[in-house]
Amino acid sequence: MKVMVPIKRVIDYNVNIRVKTDGSGVETANVKMSMNPFDEIAVEQAIRLKEAGQAEDIIAVSIGVAKCQETLRTALAMGADRAILVQTETPTEPLAVAKLLKALVAQEQPQLVILGKQAIDDDCNQTGQMLAALLGWAQGTFISALNLDGQTLEVTREVDGGLETLRLPAPAVLTVDLRLNQPRYASLPNIMKAKRKPLTTLTPDDLGVDISPRLTTLKVAEPPQRQAGIKVSSVAELVDKLRNEAKVIS
Amino acid sequence: MALIVLVLAVGIFSLSRYPLTMHTPQLEQHIPAICPVRTDPDSLSVYGRDWSTLYPARPSGIAFPETIEQVIALVHWANQQQMALVPSGGRTGLSGGATASQGELVVSFERMNQILNFDPVAASITCQPGVITQTLQDYAAERGWYYPVDFAARGSSQIGGNIATNAGGINVIRYGLTRNWISGLKVVTGRGELLDLNKGLIKNATGYDLRHLFIGSEGTLGFIVEATVQLTRPPQQPRVLVLAVPELADVMAVFTAFRQHLELSAFELFTANCMRHVVARGVPQPFAVSSDYYLLIEFESASDEPMDTALQLFEQLLEQGKVIDGVASESEAQAQALWQLREDITEATAVYQPYKNDIAVPVGQIVPFLQAANDLLSREYPDYEVLWFGHIGDGNLHIGVLKPAELDSSEFAQRCAAVTEQLAQLLAQFNGSISAEHGVGLTKKAYLSYTRSATEINYLRTLKQVFDPNGILNPGKIFD
Repeated sequence: MKVMVPIKRVIDYNVNIRVKTDGSGVETANVKMSMNPFDEIAVEQAIRLKEAGQAEDIIAVSIGVAKCQETLRTALAMGADRAILVQTETPTEPLAVAKLLKALVAQEQPQLVILGKQAIDDDCNQTGQMLAALLGWAQGTFISALNLDGQTLEVTREVDGGLETLRLPAPAVLTVDLRLNQPRYASLPNIMKAKRKPLTTLTPDDLGVDISPRLTTLKVAEPPQRQAGIKVSSVAELVDKLRNEAKVIS
Repeated sequence: MALIVLVLAVGIFSLSRYPLTMHTPQLEQHIPAICPVRTDPDSLSVYGRDWSTLYPARPSGIAFPETIEQVIALVHWANQQQMALVPSGGRTGLSGGATASQGELVVSFERMNQILNFDPVAASITCQPGVITQTLQDYAAERGWYYPVDFAARGSSQIGGNIATNAGGINVIRYGLTRNWISGLKVVTGRGELLDLNKGLIKNATGYDLRHLFIGSEGTLGFIVEATVQLTRPPQQPRVLVLAVPELADVMAVFTAFRQHLELSAFELFTANCMRHVVARGVPQPFAVSSDYYLLIEFESASDEPMDTALQLFEQLLEQGKVIDGVASESEAQAQALWQLREDITEATAVYQPYKNDIAVPVGQIVPFLQAANDLLSREYPDYEVLWFGHIGDGNLHIGVLKPAELDSSEFAQRCAAVTEQLAQLLAQFNGSISAEHGVGLTKKAYLSYTRSATEINYLRTLKQVFDPNGILNPGKIFD
């Protein structure tokens, strides 16, 4: 089985996000960028399928600026076999990404696409579902366990009421949740080997996809600052403040 | 010989006697006129000891000064009353430096916890001694600066205690000790006099620099009541490697190779059993292979170049068989998870009540010293588990001896103290130190003469006399 793993380069989870002073977006200059943590889990799952003899070829795919090559090299160092970068400076929206991925699926013919349930920068949580719809494939979203039996997939999803287990036929799109696995570290010998693994660069035009943004960002603002708490000296004062200032009791 | 060892072993557990009288009943009469005070049993047991749990917590009370004037008044009062004072910060020390076991009055600086000034031009912060180390680090970070002294106790320890112990930690190889970052210090001496030392100057060639006497003095010369700390540029995208090294003899070859080609901000060693304890706590295991020794290396990697250099070095060392595997952090989260392998050792092994040594030798002597120390410890502790970990790039190693569950605590401590005596002799041969960064306090007092000459200790005592003639400041710590 061939597995495609789309990954996104995002601002590192541990970086304090700063909004640009002109409100046009968030500051990305000289900021540590890493693989979207959910996509890391997707890469790990693909590698585990390969180690279990259930996948042969793992293709890591990313869409974005030239620097996304670094993120793809990380996936290759973890254990992906080859990588494709669809290079563009245009900001990409989920539908555009799903269309590009559909074109890549047509080109590479994987039976499984595994990706993070969402990216931690825009939190859209749309790409996997849109891709499944465009391809007309089965989809298993927010999966926390995966069992592959021939061409049949059994996935466990974390839902509000507990766990839901679904069976779906391949080909399918899977979006992964946090508890699916613990991604491995890239070992230094594998980082070196990853430098020699094939990485192909394409453009959206090569794939015949129009990725012009359909959304306009009006303004990006910091969330309101939380007010510091105050100390009161007596219960009477507390009750008074709750009643007359906070107006939460009458 | 056995007799001498026994006497010395007992020596560290019997506390020094000093001619100060107990004044418990008068505390509540006198201290409230100066500053808030507490004498309830819960507070006494909390404020009477640090992380070394060897000594009973028996202070008479705890004073909480809020101003420099109150500290001065306390010191004057203590001189009149012959009352011993023990300074108290975050009490995260491991050598008993903040222990009060003999009815002393603990002076807690936790209410003097204000940051007073931030000067972006001088790149400095002036603050009170009770500011928590991490609060200072975060305050600097929010303003785009970096306070580089860092260690696992950052969330509890206070800057005053950091200065009084000249704290080191994980970044010493790049940034040095606390001493390197203090440009101004206000202290109240044992005579109750306020000294304003160096005043934030970078250059000040006007004779003896008293500031440095107080840094690392463990509260025996004066109380630190205000400090100006210097800041630096924050590190850019630190990258962490963990390497598996089979042979002790090769550890320093790896160090030399990396230090020659990269600006390292950390170079740490830990043994296989340290890794086992930390992994048992749920920290992800980095390798499939196992090895007797592991190294954690950190450097900045804002460009690709440092990592490319590191990979080349790794490749050479791999070919030479000096390392057998390695991993690199690909994100900040992974960098932190790899650091946990090193930083969680103390907490992961705390249940075994480890006996701790914190030793240093000249960096060039590390390997021969470690081989000799390994022979000594495996001979003397054949049935105890011994952990080796530490800041090996600074020549500093922590040795933790785990207490077997069935062994009585005091018998265990006595046996370990006897071995420490031999370890101290070995250290003297290697020009090493019996306390690299944990201070002397009470636990290392018996071994001071292995690192400092008798003449030197005499000068130390004379200095103590000058600043604290009545011996009221942290008596019995460092030396009697």
